[in-house]
Amino acid sequence: MTTSRRDFLKTAGVALGAVTLPSWVFESEARADAVADKNRLADAALSTAKRLGASYADIRINRYRFEAISTREQQVQNVSRSQSFGFGVRALYKGTWGFASSRIVTPEEVRRVTAQAVEIARANSAFQRKPIQIVPAAKVVTTWKGAFQKDPFDVPIDDKIQFLLKLNKAAMKTQGVGFVNSAMLFVNEQKFLATSDGSRIEQYLIRSFPSFTVTAINRASGDFQTRTSFGGPQALGYEYLEKYPWLVEAEQAGEEVVAKLKAKSVEPGKYDLVLHPSHLWLTIHESVGHPTELDRALWWEANYAGTSFLTPDKRGKLQFGSKLVNFVADRTQPAGLATTGYDDEGVPGQQWHLVKDGVFVDWQTTRDLAPLLGQKKSYGCLYADSWGSVPFPRMPNVSLQPGKEAVSLDNLVNSVDDGILIYGTGSYSIDQQRYNFQFGGQTFYEIKKGKIVGMLRDVAYQSRTTDFWGACDGLGGPQTYQLGGSFNDGKGEPTQSNAVSHGCPIARFRQINVLNTAVRAS
Amino acid sequence: MLLTEKEARAITDKLLGYTKADDASVSVTSETYSHLRFAANSFLTSGRRENMNANVVVWVNRKRGAASTNELDEASLRAAVEEAERLANISPVDVEYVPTLKMQTYKPTLGYAEATANVPLVDRAKAVSDIISASETAGVLSAGFHQAQASASATATKNGNFDYERRSIVSLGTTARTTDGAGSGYFLRSHFDISRLDTSRISREAIRRALESRNARVLDAGVYPVILEPQAVADLVGFFGFGFDARNAEEGRSAFSAAGGKTRVGEKIFDDRINILSDPWRADLPGSQSTQAGLPAEVVYLVKGGVLENLVYSRFWAQKRERQPTPGPVNIIMEPTSQPATLDEMIRNTERGLLVSRFWYIRSVDPRTATLTGLTRDGVWLVENGKIQYPVRNFRFNQSIIQMLAPGNVEMIGTPERVGSSEGQGGSASLLPALKLKAFKFTSQSEAV
Repeated sequence: MTTSRRDFLKTAGVALGAVTLPSWVFESEARADAVADKNRLADAALSTAKRLGASYADIRINRYRFEAISTREQQVQNVSRSQSFGFGVRALYKGTWGFASSRIVTPEEVRRVTAQAVEIARANSAFQRKPIQIVPAAKVVTTWKGAFQKDPFDVPIDDKIQFLLKLNKAAMKTQGVGFVNSAMLFVNEQKFLATSDGSRIEQYLIRSFPSFTVTAINRASGDFQTRTSFGGPQALGYEYLEKYPWLVEAEQAGEEVVAKLKAKSVEPGKYDLVLHPSHLWLTIHESVGHPTELDRALWWEANYAGTSFLTPDKRGKLQFGSKLVNFVADRTQPAGLATTGYDDEGVPGQQWHLVKDGVFVDWQTTRDLAPLLGQKKSYGCLYADSWGSVPFPRMPNVSLQPGKEAVSLDNLVNSVDDGILIYGTGSYSIDQQRYNFQFGGQTFYEIKKGKIVGMLRDVAYQSRTTDFWGACDGLGGPQTYQLGGSFNDGKGEPTQSNAVSHGCPIARFRQINVLNTAVRAS
Repeated sequence: MLLTEKEARAITDKLLGYTKADDASVSVTSETYSHLRFAANSFLTSGRRENMNANVVVWVNRKRGAASTNELDEASLRAAVEEAERLANISPVDVEYVPTLKMQTYKPTLGYAEATANVPLVDRAKAVSDIISASETAGVLSAGFHQAQASASATATKNGNFDYERRSIVSLGTTARTTDGAGSGYFLRSHFDISRLDTSRISREAIRRALESRNARVLDAGVYPVILEPQAVADLVGFFGFGFDARNAEEGRSAFSAAGGKTRVGEKIFDDRINILSDPWRADLPGSQSTQAGLPAEVVYLVKGGVLENLVYSRFWAQKRERQPTPGPVNIIMEPTSQPATLDEMIRNTERGLLVSRFWYIRSVDPRTATLTGLTRDGVWLVENGKIQYPVRNFRFNQSIIQMLAPGNVEMIGTPERVGSSEGQGGSASLLPALKLKAFKFTSQSEAV
């Protein structure tokens, strides 16, 4: 390790000892020997694993901080801060993984838990059928921090509460708005990784997730509608709350949810769809992000999330979408929730094509998945959501590239004779091999003869992944590109949460099946 | 290791001793968790986690603050209390504050088995190896997940309550797939006592379903009579189970809201043979002994004889409405008031319909009618003239759960079985029956296997 704890915190943009740092987390963490401790602990783990016969081992010593504030109308419902500190050791013994973890971070406990990880691997290895192999990764000794400017954990709670109450007031300006719920969540990951390859990597990541939901109710008829925020989570600091027009969107949401109560219920049928990035990111996540995970393609997720229609024989051959369609996986994208310097086994963040000019070309991989396709290196997709969780393959940021020309929303709408423009994410569901999906949204606008003519409700579209992307015949330009994302994408056994972003321009799709989701209960 | 009652009390006493707040609720949880995951007939990941957590919620001049930490040394515990107090001091008044509970008396529910807390590594490896061997023999590739969790937790209040409880759960889910990818079967079960988990039944059922679901034929989407196996019911109820909140219903934003600002309590919304209740002391499904931060749990009927009997009142909403808070639910049991039917009887009594083993990726489409969308997965069969005829391709559905259980749509109800939602991986369970229903709406085909 070449960097001291103090240097690392400076790199991370955290002012050590400053009065703006009220958090007890740093007080309890700022032991002078913290870095030396971690290196000594790492030495203890890796030497124990080696002595017990592990061919590879790594240790992650991580601290997580969470802050959550939630409000409704002019009331604060919750203000809480929590933290979790501990370590997890992974050992590969005779081609079998073992993992053990503990919250007690001492050399004795590290040695005990490392022996336990090897013992678990040893017990299972007696029955192992196909030994696990891993591709090499270069030795790295470094530190890395995310692209945030203003650490949200340094911003006074009172400012955040006032922000949310002001937002709620803006949302309730329109007569007819019944309720508003709003929240902000912040996550800080302080991660230390040491591997038996010799890597020692310390990273500091920040994620921010403001959100709100506005509800309008017609008590006479028993009807109600909701409108949730379009601005999603980002790997940014508190500057995200200051720069994104949250108050403007909240006021707009209030107007829209009231209008939604009176909007025309959609007539089911085939429509051309124009999809805004605040909506389309989720369709990308489900229909492109998940099927390009190699663990799914190889049936590793068969018992839970499912497999993938993108089987190994389809690489370089399958026409995934129209020629306009290019999907890039990227763990280096600024503000991307899955952006990282290095993954949880020391592989650097990278950028690569998953779909190029409409053809499926590659998967997301880890060090134990890459050899199964004869690949010599990993794309760096290993991640665990806690020190106590086993790292496993997780999705990088996966984004649809914008068109080269400065095509606008109006340009895309102009050529639609009978269509629907959709903003925001609603209901979402997709099958276990990622063919058949159905998505709702937040606001829907009817397009007739190239013009937006009014609001619709009860809209969901249903399609098949390759049919849908094959029907994409228009992409907005770079000026329409926005980043959306999921704060808690669940996968794996035991289920773990991953945060991931998806960027895209506005895009147009021809003749997609639209359902009316309203059902009258008898 | 799990905290004993004495150790847990020592920590909650410390936390309460540190606080100068007007009121406080503190808790400590300890957990051991282990898992073994396998896929493509090979061992994948396997691990163990030991953790403890201390949580502090305080009120200062009716202002609330909360903090938690997993570092339980005195300095960290004290820091957590100070952090919660600091947050309370800068927060606005908590208008939903209800004083914490005074001393309560609990009737234990016996949801803990020592053997579940200490699963021997070799026994578990052998059990999974046996599943892989059976799969190899049958020519299928299996994936699955064995997990065991034990916890001991305690909550104490500044007003004098103390609630300590130990719980455990073990589950095994297995998916078997034919090597050509044409057939897939799934089976999941759980119990609090590992000696009651029948791993060979889980393996056998998954493999049988994989082999019997091969070469599925394509049927048109549409409205079909269905027989839903308990797993399929669990997958739907996993969503429906959270819809009984009184406040949402009274505020006009739930499927149980009625026109004119009223609720549907007292209305016959379901078939009159359906009871839905929570019972903390069911032998196969012990619930927690407490609910809502320490309220002693009791038997609560949500639906009785098809009538919406109760909605769930939080302590705050109950106080606002001048009524008692609801002492549950701590589990969900759906049971018939009449003689239950077996799955075979349901099949024999079906002229034409679909037998559904499981649903997947279920999401709410319209909360006004509890309409859900999702897909069938791992086995759908056409039943005709009282017999299973052949497997059929999967479907997407869009179906109101209220309409599904409404009078006139429920034909037969089975014996409730302990089963958990497959999206929940067996981490929780309910007692649910198979159901024979007159109409269920499938809206498109899915080629996924």
